[in-house]
Amino acid sequence: MLFFFTDLLVLGCINAIMVVGLNLHYGYAGLLNFAFYMYVAIGAYIAAVTTMGSPTFPGVTYIFGWTLPWWVGLILGGLVAAAVSVVIFAFTVRRLRSDYLAIVTVSAAFIMLNVVNSFTPLFDGGTGLFNVPPITGNLSISSEGYSLVMLAVTAVILALFVWVSQRIFRSPFGRLLRGIREDEAVTTAFGHASWRPQLWIFVIGSFMAGIAGGLFVLYISAWNPGAFLPIESFFLLSSLIIGGSGNYWGAMLGAFVVIEGLAELSRYSPTFGNPADAGAIRAIVIGVALILVLRYRPEGLIPERWLRWYRVGAGNVVRRFPALRRNVP
Amino acid sequence: MARLIEAVGFGLVTASILALAAVAVSLQVSVTNFINFAYGDFLTFGAYIAWTTAQHGVNIFLAVLLGGVATGLLGIAANVFIFRPFMRRRVRTVTLLIAGVGLSFIVQNGITLIWSTEPVRFNVTLGNSFNIGPLVFTPGDLLMIGAAVGLLALLHVMLSYTRFGKSLRATSNNIDLAQACGIDSDRVITITWFLAGLLTAVAGVGLVLQEGTLDPTTGFVELFIIFGAVILGGIGKPYGAMLGALVVGVLTEVSGMYVNSAYKTSIAFAVVIILLLFRPQGLFAGSSKTS
Repeated sequence: MLFFFTDLLVLGCINAIMVVGLNLHYGYAGLLNFAFYMYVAIGAYIAAVTTMGSPTFPGVTYIFGWTLPWWVGLILGGLVAAAVSVVIFAFTVRRLRSDYLAIVTVSAAFIMLNVVNSFTPLFDGGTGLFNVPPITGNLSISSEGYSLVMLAVTAVILALFVWVSQRIFRSPFGRLLRGIREDEAVTTAFGHASWRPQLWIFVIGSFMAGIAGGLFVLYISAWNPGAFLPIESFFLLSSLIIGGSGNYWGAMLGAFVVIEGLAELSRYSPTFGNPADAGAIRAIVIGVALILVLRYRPEGLIPERWLRWYRVGAGNVVRRFPALRRNVP
Repeated sequence: MARLIEAVGFGLVTASILALAAVAVSLQVSVTNFINFAYGDFLTFGAYIAWTTAQHGVNIFLAVLLGGVATGLLGIAANVFIFRPFMRRRVRTVTLLIAGVGLSFIVQNGITLIWSTEPVRFNVTLGNSFNIGPLVFTPGDLLMIGAAVGLLALLHVMLSYTRFGKSLRATSNNIDLAQACGIDSDRVITITWFLAGLLTAVAGVGLVLQEGTLDPTTGFVELFIIFGAVILGGIGKPYGAMLGALVVGVLTEVSGMYVNSAYKTSIAFAVVIILLLFRPQGLFAGSSKTS
């Protein structure tokens, strides 16, 4: 019973890290990234191959095969994800409008999936990686104990990232991002090069995704292409929008309730016919919830907060011109 | 060289399937100004309806028609219950995109619930393949090309010469002005969703007959290649979409010859990405619609 809760909490924390990262992209900067899970997958693969040593099973092949300490592998995973995001940003985000950006990012995710699946020397193809060593090393520990250890690690990292998001939100940098999100022409007219803050936020968010992926693989000890289908990115985005984009509390609520809560509910819901139907029902529920939230509460369950000085200073303007208020996600 | 020409032949079949789907997407985008992410799942839905009815002994052509009508009705339902309320409030495009993702979840997983994730085989043999010059076709291929050309010609006639076509073009051009002129643009949009669904389902059956199997994610994967064709032709321009489909279809089949077939889908996606990056306004520029 204890294991059930700690397991749930660890996965919840990992998902929350992802959604908090996605919130930086979509909530703070308005960058519609439909392939966020790609960075999670990159982080997971890099963290795995840099810590698990050279291949021991016959037929298993992957690059690197280093035996770095887990935390070095984790950070490397985050850095590689961030580096890839710089390339993606340079080629796409600056050039394309939102719908094209969505198409290009999803296409890129499909390519990564296809290449990883078919090109076995990279990450062992469709079979994927397994036996990734736990962060406790050779220490003999029960799975309950390990989930407790991981809970501590993921909770600390989640808290750190939430703190970072909070600092960003309140900083001039965060304000500038919101300005760009609302109206790029205005911020440009005030002399801000809008790509620079967007690039930074894109990189920071992708770094968080890479870290989340690394934690994921260190916890479940295996990773394969089935783990990062494009639909996962859509789940993350849905949970962010339902929870409340632009607000890290909303992001965490979305991660815990929408992803974890529904996953568990559907696991215990009465199954009629095929047990695989539970996943389908969960996705339908998420789809309906997403549309209802967009329709009746577009700001999400916990809306973006307006800081005090907004109300004192710019608040009057906002009150007089409701169109300035961000009322649609 | 002979193989290259053969690949062009396959490309023509792929292109005609793609053209139907791309024109459907383009028609809908031209009147509603947003890209519907659930389109791929509409395609899957149409194919499944056609497959099920064909399994029950219905003639394949009638089955395709039934699939088309069912998908058209699904399109109308999506418009009335989901998209129209959003469009009335003039929300941002991003909201409509995400609502489309939600609809995609619902349709794709609804399909999973009804037909399960197990891929089904869907084959119709109409005779042996034969050569036309250096090209190799099966009768099914020719039928597909014929159906695509016929339907698109019909669509052209409808757009150019009927009263409805005129209303559609007016709505596409400027919806407020069209309404001011007494055009019932809601009706035009509804009919457009139906037509788009119909064409999509025919494309879906064509795609599945070409690949031989059908599963709930078939359309979702194909969707992004369709988008490539649509955008290449200049978004919201049905005639451009036909040419875009021709380019994407032939390019992917031909490039598939030079690369390991395991990477064929990657090639298609790479083509889409490169085209979007370097010609986002479409190959045949001029004034693109939506911006």
